[in-house]
Amino acid sequence: MNWDWEKLQKQQQGRPGGKPPGFDDFQQHFQKFKNFKVPGWKLVVPLLIVLWIASGFYIVEPDEIGVVKRFGEFDRITTPGPNYHIPFPVESAVTPKVTQIQRLEFGFRSVARGLLQSNFQQGVSREVPEEALMLTGDENIVSVQFTVQFMIKDAREYLFNVASPEATIVHVAESAMREVIGRSRIDDALTTGKQDIQVETRDLMQQILDSYESGINIVAVQMQNVHPPDEVIEAFKDVASAREDSSRFVNEAEAYERDILPKARGEAARIVNEAQAYTEAKVRRSQGDASRFLAVLTEYNKAKDITRRRLYLETVESILQNPDVEKLIMADDALKKSVPYLPLDKLPRQATPSQAKQ
Amino acid sequence: MKPITIALIALIVVATLGLTQVVFTVDQTERAIVLELGRPVGDVALEPGLHFKLPVVQNVVFFDSRILDFDARPEEITTADKKYMNVDSYTKWRIYDPLTFYTKVRSVQGAQARLDDIIRSQLRVAVGRYTLIEVVSHKRLEIMTAVTERSRELLRPYGIEVVDVRIKRTDLPPENARAIYGRMKAERERQARQYRSEGREASARIIAEADKQRAIILADAEKEAEIVRGDGDAQATAIYAEALGKAPDFYDFMRSLEAYRKSFGDNTRFIMTPESQFLRHMR
Repeated sequence: MNWDWEKLQKQQQGRPGGKPPGFDDFQQHFQKFKNFKVPGWKLVVPLLIVLWIASGFYIVEPDEIGVVKRFGEFDRITTPGPNYHIPFPVESAVTPKVTQIQRLEFGFRSVARGLLQSNFQQGVSREVPEEALMLTGDENIVSVQFTVQFMIKDAREYLFNVASPEATIVHVAESAMREVIGRSRIDDALTTGKQDIQVETRDLMQQILDSYESGINIVAVQMQNVHPPDEVIEAFKDVASAREDSSRFVNEAEAYERDILPKARGEAARIVNEAQAYTEAKVRRSQGDASRFLAVLTEYNKAKDITRRRLYLETVESILQNPDVEKLIMADDALKKSVPYLPLDKLPRQATPSQAKQ
Repeated sequence: MKPITIALIALIVVATLGLTQVVFTVDQTERAIVLELGRPVGDVALEPGLHFKLPVVQNVVFFDSRILDFDARPEEITTADKKYMNVDSYTKWRIYDPLTFYTKVRSVQGAQARLDDIIRSQLRVAVGRYTLIEVVSHKRLEIMTAVTERSRELLRPYGIEVVDVRIKRTDLPPENARAIYGRMKAERERQARQYRSEGREASARIIAEADKQRAIILADAEKEAEIVRGDGDAQATAIYAEALGKAPDFYDFMRSLEAYRKSFGDNTRFIMTPESQFLRHMR
């Protein structure tokens, strides 16, 4: 108890005016207690005083910051750890969480607003069209679902400057996003321009909130789901499938090209090779024929007449050997007397008198 | 002893009650003015902290010193091109001079009525200057700035500072929305058609080019083949000519024999007389 008292004294030394504020109050309380006919009041009264003094202790958690007001006026910021303020009614302390990032949803609801859900799933969200539909700079309508993450950057400003910080963030976010989308083109919002829109919206929000001295830091603006309105979504999807069709047509054509050209080259090689084969065969045959002819000629020159006769007879023999060849031998006179009659229409066969000449 | 004690307790209770009549605190989020019989005392509002007043004759009125919200009802406004649109705005304001504020409008409710009036009419004026699409897209900032500045001027005499007027939503009337949807649809359909026809065009080009290439490849091959064949024929002819030129008669004879052998096959009828060369020895 002694120690507590000393601590209280120490607390008050740095201040102008030796008498601690609230001292009168304390004395009155003391007086009151003094006159109660409570058995053992000599013990109770100091105990109450100790309790009152102890009520000035408060803990600031690591993710918090302490803001102390004296008689309602902002007095000081305290850091995490155990702290002390002069008990009620002189000073009071609040400990807002300054490192916690809070999250607001726009255009859809997955959970109650303002709660940061780590296990956020987009699948279970519900769209809020009147909040999501926005006009773009090129006179299109787009549905934008986005989240805003914010934290307290200046506890003093946050607590004392703006009446309803969260409602303010909601208003500012809606206004800023619509302003930025109102300057953007729909195709950018739907595709590659998202990053820019996010950054621009974040900066605009920050600028507006700073102008209110709200003590709020916008950590991030994230576009969750941006899509064309339901009324025209089919047309947009068709554009995407048209793009795919287009590249499919080209791919098919290229596949056709890749199919027929090698085939054609193969065919070409075949044609050329066949011609080369023909040539090689023809040349070789002619060479063979020529050498055979020359060989025979050599022998022929040695005995012309007899060879000639031999070759002639062999040939005629081999012709007449064929049983299907009709042979008709007539005497010369008979041949001379017979009328040459050639029934061309009836005769399937042709009679050719062979006049082998010398 | 006992009466004294009671008196003492009574005194303490009275003193405590009296203290609240004399001492009061103003919170960091507030400003206060002291009224004496209904009239403000002094010419500035009290800052946060501990203050004193006279009991009974003076009382305290507190005013929120933070930036306050005024969220107006969405309003149908006619644009310069005679279209209606719903404009939803919000206003951030603060009581910057509590004394004036108290004498002119008294309370936050009173202030809101004034705000509603002035901002509504300013918004009408500003939005009425532009066409619907201008309001929606690139003239937004001008409108907000104009309304903020004008309202600020008009509300200053009431001890009110307009911090900011911003447009939240600008909803189109249904028929305008329908028109936009129709246009969007048409635009996308055109795009889709363009993509498909461009794809077809590219595809046709590629196919035609491929067919042409094939034709060229095959024609080249045929050409080469003919050249090669001709070369072969020429070589063969040369070889034959060289060999046969050495004995044309003999070739003639040999070739004739071969021709006979090949030509007189089945279905041939020979009529011969003993006079013929072949039958000479049968005479």
